[in-house]
Amino acid sequence: MEVIMVDQEKCTQCHTCALWCGIEIGSVAKELNQAIHEEPQPVPRVHVEGNNFPFHCRHCEVAPCIDACPNGTMRRDPKTGLVYVHEPTCIACWMCVMVCPFGIIAPLSSQHIAIKCDRCRNMEYPICVEVCPTNALKLQKTRKGLPDEDSQYVQYSKGLKDF
Amino acid sequence: MDFVQKKTADSAVEPFLAKAAEKGVALVWDRYEGSLPQCGFCETGLNCRDCLQGPCISHPFRDGNKVGVCGKDKDILGVHSFLRLVVHGAMAYLDQLTDFAGGVKSGESSPRDKGQADKLIKDIQALLADGGVGVVQEFPKGLIDGWKAKGVYPEGIARDLFKASQKLDGGTSSVEDTLLWAFKGALSGCMAQVLQGRLKTAVFGDTSPTDVEVNLGVLQQEVPTILLYGHFSPLLKQKIGEAAKGKHIGIMGVCTDPLIPPYSFAPVTNYGSQEIPLMTGAVDLIVAGDQCVNPSLAELAKGWNVEVVQTEVLNRGGDLAGFARKIVEQAQKAFDGRRKVTRDIPGVKESALMGCSAKDVDSKKIAEAMKGGEIKGLAILAGCNNVKFTQDHEIVSLARELLKRDVFCVSEGCASVSLAKYGLLNPRNRESSCGKGLSDLLSSLGKDLPAVVDLGSCENGGVTEFLLAMGKQPKDLPLVACFPEANRTKAVARAAWTVAMGAPTYFWPYLPVTGSPKTVEALGEFCEKTFGAKLNVITEKMEVAEKADLIMKGLERA
Repeated sequence: MEVIMVDQEKCTQCHTCALWCGIEIGSVAKELNQAIHEEPQPVPRVHVEGNNFPFHCRHCEVAPCIDACPNGTMRRDPKTGLVYVHEPTCIACWMCVMVCPFGIIAPLSSQHIAIKCDRCRNMEYPICVEVCPTNALKLQKTRKGLPDEDSQYVQYSKGLKDF
Repeated sequence: MDFVQKKTADSAVEPFLAKAAEKGVALVWDRYEGSLPQCGFCETGLNCRDCLQGPCISHPFRDGNKVGVCGKDKDILGVHSFLRLVVHGAMAYLDQLTDFAGGVKSGESSPRDKGQADKLIKDIQALLADGGVGVVQEFPKGLIDGWKAKGVYPEGIARDLFKASQKLDGGTSSVEDTLLWAFKGALSGCMAQVLQGRLKTAVFGDTSPTDVEVNLGVLQQEVPTILLYGHFSPLLKQKIGEAAKGKHIGIMGVCTDPLIPPYSFAPVTNYGSQEIPLMTGAVDLIVAGDQCVNPSLAELAKGWNVEVVQTEVLNRGGDLAGFARKIVEQAQKAFDGRRKVTRDIPGVKESALMGCSAKDVDSKKIAEAMKGGEIKGLAILAGCNNVKFTQDHEIVSLARELLKRDVFCVSEGCASVSLAKYGLLNPRNRESSCGKGLSDLLSSLGKDLPAVVDLGSCENGGVTEFLLAMGKQPKDLPLVACFPEANRTKAVARAAWTVAMGAPTYFWPYLPVTGSPKTVEALGEFCEKTFGAKLNVITEKMEVAEKADLIMKGLERA
């Protein structure tokens, strides 16, 4: 599986990922100048909060949202391993919203669906990774659901490597 | 903004793109692609860096982040984004003017018409002090009254520009009020441009329409060549011309006024491709100002072993003639040292008639032709190049389209150089480029005019003089201004004062105000109500024919 890795040292909290996610994924128009005035306001699937860390869905191997979903709306793509919402069957019970440990899933009350980052599974490449001006976001292959042992991010987090 | 597939329409420039790629030299187009996607907040004016509590944005998709730390909301951010550009642009004209006027005042040159020059210097001092300047009085009374009623009438730099610039610092002004300050600042830039043009005439004498050659083909094989880049004191240009007199030296220009009587400096290329002349190897020395000069030149010049002499330096010293002599000597020496460098000069050039002025075209006749319907109206073409568009494509094809539809086109500055490269300033191509009505009018004007009439460099205010000569308020005439490939802040200021004079203006690319619906609305409806003209901010993608349709519609109003 490929997941989005964040290099905190490089993130400047510029919100570019959230802006373009809102345009490309959240909006109807898919065009900057129309999307920014759209009502209801488009909801980006990635959020940059307080710290320099954009929150994306981690596509957990043991995903609480899939377990909590009462009618199989939250699904895992068997090919890619990516977790997504099957919108037509969502009953807006917000169970997934409550159990997500990262607060990734947003209740979109106006349309009665839960929305979340599906890592742009229908696109060639995730938009946030494509637009990140500092390359703080990277698409990284995982082994058995975990990041590669030799990846700089794992080494960094283990204190094996300085950036 | 998008990736632009075709970089330039100029056949002289195109081969150099491949050569640059081969050599691994990054040009403006490469740098642009490297910067994509550009910041969406900045592109729509939803950002601010005016204090150190920021940088702030108004996040279109995040409720907790809709206003900046100080409370600027998306509309204030948008209108401030416009104001910032206008103030910067207006100051550019004032910089040119004060530099030149300072030189004239200190006696660096003996003006042709001393009396007129002295009078203008007084006028310039008045413009800086209290705005009370003769040239403002020459505008139609209706316009002046309107400006006074709205408070945008020039009142001196301190009141016009210092105050306007501090609107960015804070306060609780509305979008409309802030916009009026921007127009006030722009108008003082306009007066500066006109005064500079007049001072040039007083100092160097009148320019008559002059035949010049344009494009890279004007570079020469066996001649030491100096290239003048951007805007710097015309006195220095004159002195360089004088110092080179009788010597075997070629002096040409890029993004600079080509006509300083009695000298003319052939435009080698225009803004978008200003890096290309260096790549021909046929440049021995560059003399560069600041305005309109890409900082990339410094690095590129090193690669081709070319010195860049800066004109805008601290402690330049008062002796301009000595400085000019040194420049000429340096060029000769550089030529000897660069003999081994191959000079790869494309054989592409066009002749063009440049430097017309209000007195060369009978504006009354044009007004009659507009009234009689022989021509559909008048379009001012301005602005240089913008890497967001295929170089020259937009302006040249728009001009061709308008000419065919019998619209009288005038141009200035780099826009003229763009059009000249494709023969639109060559009188021989007039018949084939224009519709019947326009063609008849142009030939009836007596002189052998080209399809598009160049009203001089963007330093000179030729367009404003031309409008003054028409004697009517622009809002009562079928008259528009188009900036098809604008990029400098000067162009934004120019667009603003054109609107303040009552000429509807079409501006591409869209200004960074689109994040604020109120600003876009105010530039449209509010300006229409206040000045009788809109500044059109166009975000939709349009083919050239659609742009022409839009402009034709604008012409129909009067």
